[in-house]
Amino acid sequence: MASADPTGDFQQFTDEMYSMWEKSMTTWWDQVLDSPEFLAASGKGLSAMAGARRKYEAGVDEQLTRMHLPTRSDLTRLARIATLLEERVLKMEDTVLEVKDLLEARDTRISALEKEVLQARIEATEARVELRETLAGLQGQLAALAAPAPRTRRTRSAKNTDSAS
Amino acid sequence: MFALLQKSVEVGQWLAQDPVSSAETGLSPHRVIHRQAKTCVRYFPPAPGVPPRHPLFVSMPLINTWTVFDLRPGRSVVEKLTAAGIPLYLMDWGRPGPEDAAVRFGDIVDDILPRAMRRSARHARAEGTLSAGTAMDALGYCVGGTVLAVTLARHGALARRMALLAAPIDFHASQRLATWASAATFPVDAIVDGFGNYPKSFMKDSFKLLKPETNTAKYKGLFDRFEDLSFRALWAAMERWNEDSVDFPGETYREYIHRCYFDNAPVEGGWVINGTPVDLGAATMPAAAFGAMKDHICPPEAAFGLARAWGGPVETFELQAGHVGVCLGGSFPRALLAWLDQPLPAEA
Repeated sequence: MASADPTGDFQQFTDEMYSMWEKSMTTWWDQVLDSPEFLAASGKGLSAMAGARRKYEAGVDEQLTRMHLPTRSDLTRLARIATLLEERVLKMEDTVLEVKDLLEARDTRISALEKEVLQARIEATEARVELRETLAGLQGQLAALAAPAPRTRRTRSAKNTDSAS
Repeated sequence: MFALLQKSVEVGQWLAQDPVSSAETGLSPHRVIHRQAKTCVRYFPPAPGVPPRHPLFVSMPLINTWTVFDLRPGRSVVEKLTAAGIPLYLMDWGRPGPEDAAVRFGDIVDDILPRAMRRSARHARAEGTLSAGTAMDALGYCVGGTVLAVTLARHGALARRMALLAAPIDFHASQRLATWASAATFPVDAIVDGFGNYPKSFMKDSFKLLKPETNTAKYKGLFDRFEDLSFRALWAAMERWNEDSVDFPGETYREYIHRCYFDNAPVEGGWVINGTPVDLGAATMPAAAFGAMKDHICPPEAAFGLARAWGGPVETFELQAGHVGVCLGGSFPRALLAWLDQPLPAEA
């Protein structure tokens, strides 16, 4: 029975065709791409390309040198030197940052220590003030205890007077 | 049929306007806080009004640009993480030139990446998002994850935990890529000696050839969803990123291929860098391996190799996406945020 939408049929037909084509191509590619012959051939091809490139580079460099012009190798060397110099600067920066970290850690320790010392001094001062207050209290008490003594002496002198008389 | 033809003409006309060149990527607000040669660290502050969380350092792949993490508004890992309050420090490896051909793998894992992480931590402390004596969390994507794992195995104090997204660790489980990058047939030494850096055109073409059917499927996808304007914009942005490969520093590439693809050294061992062995088993920090189940560049088995190689506790997460698709959806940011919310072993 024919479909009411012929476009839909055609879309389905092309989708199925594509799916079949993709499957068959995948099978074929799998056979080719994993075969030792393909790998050996591509390896040889890559080696040949690399060799040709090397010779081409050497040839161009030679021509430029003859014309007293800087070669690609010269420029690469300069750029490499710049990179290595940057690396040295970064290593120095690393050292500076490490020293800075150490100094900051030391400062933190020192400031913590200073805080502790200050706290200890405050506590010692407070203790001295307390001690002074206690001493003052004791002195007061001593003074209070010492106060009746003159009255005793007066009685004794009266007695003396009596005896003298 | 006429409608199909008309649509084909419209798609053709749209492509003829070259929407790929004008597609804008990497639009999330950020600033560069550190530079070394071509590399830089990009700082993405947490979204305003959101309480800041623990800072995250991200090591991006060395084979293409960082914008895959920030392709389009609404399709951006960076946007989703900063919206959740994460101050994000992203390592952009830049575009290496001929002068960077001599940069070695050891320079990256013992100098460039550790410095970038230290400078980022310093910045985070100055911003008040990282307390003194605490390290950041770290995330690595693709090759950036492999490099991060090697770095953190050697400099464990740089991070308190590590997440890897589609990052190969067991390279011999990399299926077709492992077959191609075999010592018997892949002339890596000749290429590096001849070209200096591993050329971006080789990189781009080899990834296209890795799964050739995707080259036609992407046009079929565009045709099927052409009426969706946001899909069109995403398609153009994706194409722009896809075509924008970068050279891989030659000496780094030589060592990467020899040690990782030829020797599978991250798992098998026997790799010495700058006189110190690479021993992922000596690492103690907790780690997570996020594997993309439809990934043909880093199959999940290659990513989950971390569980065998890493010394600390490792959790594995399966994401239903491809190698690049994981950066476009919301499942990865959600899973990562949930993992980052877990207390560390010392806190538990």
